[in-house]
Amino acid sequence: MIPQQFEYSAPKTLDEALGLLAEGARPLAGGMSLIPMMKLRLSNPEHLVDLGRIKDLSYIREQGTVIHIGATTTHHDVESSPLLRGKCPLLAETASHIGDVQVRNMGTIGGSVAHADPAADYPAALQALEAKIVLKGAKSERTVSAADFFVDTFTTALESGEIVREVIVPVDGSGTGTSYQKVLQPASGFAIVGIAVRVRKQGDKVAMARIGVTGLSNRAFRATAAEKALEGRSGSPAEIQAVAALVGQGVDANSDLHASADYRLHLASVYAAKALAVALGRIA
Amino acid sequence: MKISGSYFLPLPPEQAYQRLQDSQVLAEAMPGCESLDKIGEDEYRMKMKMALASLSGNFDGKVRITEQSPPNSFKLMVEGSGKVGFMKGEGLLKFTPKDAGTEVSYEGDVQVGGTIAAVGQRLIDGTAKMMIKRFFDKVAA
Amino acid sequence: MATTTITKTEKLVGKRIRRREDPRLITGTATYVDDIKMPGMLYAAILRSPHAAAKIRSIDISKAKALKGVHAVFVGEDTKNAGAVPCGASLPGLRVPHHNVLAIDRVYLVGHPVAVVVATDRYIARDGVELIEVDYEVENAVADPEKALAPGAHAVHPQWPDNVAFTFHQEGGDVTKAFAEADVIVKQRIVSQRLIPNSMETRGVVADWHAADRTMNLYTSTQAPHLVRSLVAQILGLEENRFRVVAPEVGGGFGAKIQTYAEEILLAWISMKLQKPVKWIESRRENFLCTIHGRGHVDFYEIAAKRDGTITGIKLKIIQDLGAYFTVLTPAIPTLSVLMMPGLYRTPSISADIVGAFTNCTPTDAYRGAGRPEATHGIERMVDMVAAELKMDPAEIRLKNFVRNEEFPFPTATGLVYDSGDYSAPLKKAMEMAGYDKLRKEQVEARKQGRYMGIGLCAYGEICAFGPSPATPAGGWESATVKIEPSGQVTVLTGISPHGQGEETTFAQIVGDELGVGIDDVLVVHGDTSMVPYGIGTFGSRSTAVGGTALYFALQDLKATIKKFGEMLLESDDVTFAGGQCTCNKSGKSIGVKGIAAAAYRAMKLPPNTGPGLVATHFWEPPNFTFPFGAHLVVTEVNGETGDVSIKRYIAIDDCGNILNPLIVDGQVHGGVAQGIGQALWEQAVYDDNGQLVTGEFMDYTMPRAHMMPWIESGHTITPTPVNPLGVKGVGEAGTIGASPAVVNSVVDALSPLGVRHLDMPLTPEKLWKLISAGRNA
Ligand SMILES: Cc1cc2nc3c(=O)[nH]c(=O)nc-3n(C[C@H](O)[C@H](O)[C@H](O)COP(=O)(O)OP(=O)(O)OC[C@H]3O[C@@H](n4cnc5c(N)ncnc54)[C@H](O)[C@@H]3O)c2cc1C
Repeated sequence: MIPQQFEYSAPKTLDEALGLLAEGARPLAGGMSLIPMMKLRLSNPEHLVDLGRIKDLSYIREQGTVIHIGATTTHHDVESSPLLRGKCPLLAETASHIGDVQVRNMGTIGGSVAHADPAADYPAALQALEAKIVLKGAKSERTVSAADFFVDTFTTALESGEIVREVIVPVDGSGTGTSYQKVLQPASGFAIVGIAVRVRKQGDKVAMARIGVTGLSNRAFRATAAEKALEGRSGSPAEIQAVAALVGQGVDANSDLHASADYRLHLASVYAAKALAVALGRIA
Repeated sequence: MKISGSYFLPLPPEQAYQRLQDSQVLAEAMPGCESLDKIGEDEYRMKMKMALASLSGNFDGKVRITEQSPPNSFKLMVEGSGKVGFMKGEGLLKFTPKDAGTEVSYEGDVQVGGTIAAVGQRLIDGTAKMMIKRFFDKVAA
Repeated sequence: MATTTITKTEKLVGKRIRRREDPRLITGTATYVDDIKMPGMLYAAILRSPHAAAKIRSIDISKAKALKGVHAVFVGEDTKNAGAVPCGASLPGLRVPHHNVLAIDRVYLVGHPVAVVVATDRYIARDGVELIEVDYEVENAVADPEKALAPGAHAVHPQWPDNVAFTFHQEGGDVTKAFAEADVIVKQRIVSQRLIPNSMETRGVVADWHAADRTMNLYTSTQAPHLVRSLVAQILGLEENRFRVVAPEVGGGFGAKIQTYAEEILLAWISMKLQKPVKWIESRRENFLCTIHGRGHVDFYEIAAKRDGTITGIKLKIIQDLGAYFTVLTPAIPTLSVLMMPGLYRTPSISADIVGAFTNCTPTDAYRGAGRPEATHGIERMVDMVAAELKMDPAEIRLKNFVRNEEFPFPTATGLVYDSGDYSAPLKKAMEMAGYDKLRKEQVEARKQGRYMGIGLCAYGEICAFGPSPATPAGGWESATVKIEPSGQVTVLTGISPHGQGEETTFAQIVGDELGVGIDDVLVVHGDTSMVPYGIGTFGSRSTAVGGTALYFALQDLKATIKKFGEMLLESDDVTFAGGQCTCNKSGKSIGVKGIAAAAYRAMKLPPNTGPGLVATHFWEPPNFTFPFGAHLVVTEVNGETGDVSIKRYIAIDDCGNILNPLIVDGQVHGGVAQGIGQALWEQAVYDDNGQLVTGEFMDYTMPRAHMMPWIESGHTITPTPVNPLGVKGVGEAGTIGASPAVVNSVVDALSPLGVRHLDMPLTPEKLWKLISAGRNA
């Protein structure tokens, strides 16, 4: 459990950090994913750039109809932010499901998103929220949708030298209900399946449904067939069941020691039904 | 771990078969392949650098092609070992004509050992699938 | 002469006294092996095999040796004369593999030590390991004991192609007759899966050799320091009196630190070779691979019963997964299962066979309960199955078959003599606490609603307090020395080696009551062979029952001396020693322990036939084991949609004899139950077909955590043992032994409407979901 030798820098400014990253250094945020890999020598970066000392990279700010969350904002900060709990409760709720207290105190949203673990929790919520992810390199900055950002297992749209600078989520006004429901893998705490649901009603009909799914396959995705099937409906228990059954349709589900592909698919529909029911029930 | 799947190549079976045995194509398509040198009839020595998120490792290994039955099927064996462990994949590739192209189906076994086996259980399936997909995407390109 | 001190009357034994060891543990000031630093100390890192079976074609250590900071690199050839890892168990015809401290020629398990790098710091040592190149010729492996025994299986050791390490047979009563005359015979294959013990502190060793005076100081995280001393000294040909083993603070053991490990021998050998102190600390990953595993049974049960539920005979065949080589008790563990196979039931006839199978896996050995959890799991599952077959209530069949109170001491068909008990009491108490009849009614309702509610019982018994000596591999007695210092403070030296059990507290309670001193005036010293008399160590719930009794007798000797001094000082032959005071029954004058101690060391005058000082040592050999027992009752509900098990109630009634400190007993029960529930629901060591341990980290091996635990409603009945004067039986393993069958019985009961009669552990949600969906579709 001893990493290889590495260089460590803790710049105070983002530009400085980006400069070092352009030279091939690897960012270090909460270290909750990176450091265990380094200790096992599965990951052997030569130079780590700690983003933790950079001023103004940890924030949660409302701006018009969106909320900006800085990359080094910890899971705990997201979970406990009154702003997010009030205006984007799905993200706060999702954060509360990550790992344990220690992990939430250290781990960051930027790190989680960049790491793109196929069983991480945030990606489900970010898909359902149609979040935007701001990527910054030494010379450029671009904004990518969550849908485009999560490419595959541990693979994102990040180019080398770029970091996740912030995540942008919408303010959910009244009439929206959300829920994140997760099946824990009991050893690691990661999601076997995690379902994030965000629904809005107009009158007694569902006007908008967003369903983000994590853990089921190689990357977090939106279950668009299920979303479409719900829109325009009232969200009756029978409809919920039918919609939930669509969540795993056509998905090449992962299989491991903890859950076979069949069981994962089954859980996806059970937990989608749960999340849908709770989200619909939460519509103010 | 058992793996199976299929991939469509927009080539007739004969060409698909050839392409998948072409060492140049293999070298380009195998994820992380840095060099592929012929060491015998249908046998190559391979150096690989695997990089997946922050995970990285160098592997030394072999690629072997056996049980050739052109243009219907052959067996592909890839093995490699490095500091983080070893892996070994063996699969039967079958070529069936389909819509002006070829459906390449594969069925085989992946073995992983060492540190990666012990700590990456929940990721092996997904990673294997991704690697295979990347491989075929490159072959098709 | 001082004649007034306060007379202590309040007893310490029996009180909920907080553990005196906790302040240093909680504040992080305890000294573990890794806290030990010595000038010039080197660090060792071990290269281990990634393959489960391979020939070593060559090892190239040149690059590692060339690395700056590396002092030495050793391979198997170098350590050829350093001896082999010792096995203390002996069975007729036992095949003992020679397990060199570093592999020679071949490796036969993942984690097999192949080479060691010694360097100025642990980082360089680890880097050095990376630079070693080993050329392996990989062979097929076998990781499953049943497959290992099948014809044509890969031979773990080429000289024994059948992979059979030993067979063992034991019989009692007339089992043939029992089965011939049975009304019902129930058969079941029951698996007690392999588990991986994980202490908070992994193993670690510091070896410090002083050539000039031929002394070795070995600091190691062990449960049995004297055993390590005897074995390692012998293996390395060193003098035992110059070999000091220290178990500093030990952060948990659970049986996995009774053994003498390769690293203890290797580090001592390296220190001698390099003439420097050297340290090795096991990584968590190494702990998963290289510290022993537990359980690993495949059991084939047959049980014969009469129509009225009377159990008349049990046949058992155990296939024990031994792993690739033996540690100190490996082959002996399943024999404990045989001893305990009748459980608490009168069962007049038994027949048992064990086949010990080699596999390309980590050795199995004692893990909390060691052999008894497997046996209890088996008999408690079988009793439920017989009840189901006869449509009897599981409580009724147990009550019917329990050994009766008037039958103690009760000789079992396996050759034990159960000491004392009231076996129905805990079960009845648990049922009463649970409201058993009401629960059964609730269950009927739940089933009508399509819910899967289960009520599981387990009535367990166990063998504790190992010895007597003839029944143990290394002596079953224990030692204690009590010294009253000139100041009147008391020092206890004990041969047990506690590492979380709290004897620094309970032993001080015993001393406090016997000598009438305050608990803070007592220091309990353990775990250092240069300070304490030879002892056997802490395992098998023996510390208080055997070590505490040795202490008790040492205290009686000491009290006799105190009284003599009292008589002398009070100038009377009618003196009573009580509450810390010698009092003359005639004059009423008295003198306290402090005054007596001062006089005993000042020695101006001595009583007849008495030397100066106040010291007593006692070695105590128990006449029998003790047999604690109890009953656990578990209410579960299985979620029909997901297969998740939730434990609604957990009731544990344990009878461990007299209770010295209820707080500590509760702690032992809680921890034990957590481990038992862990086995029932989550934990398992999984090897793939190639012998790779795929649950090799906490990412995949589910250790139970606090938030996964139910509320434990615990209670006790108290049946003192006649085996020792303290009347204590032992409670270290009870929770673990009671928990797994209670939970599994409960879940089987929940799913019994689907025709489920047995389930093997762990009861993962997917396993249950499959059964439920199959049952629903049927
Ligand atoms: C015991 C445990 C349990 C866990 N359980 C869960 C769980 O239930 N659900 C869950 O979702 N996660 C879980 N995690 C993971 C946790 O959420 C991590 O915090 C997260 O995945 C990574 O965030 P980090 O800030 O720690 O990143 P680090 O570990 O520091 O970095 C992770 C990777 O991202 C890169 N990186 C970091 N920041 C940036 C950035 N701003 N831009 C670009 N690249 C960056 C790093 O170079 C590295 O490759 C768990 C972790 C542990 C240790």
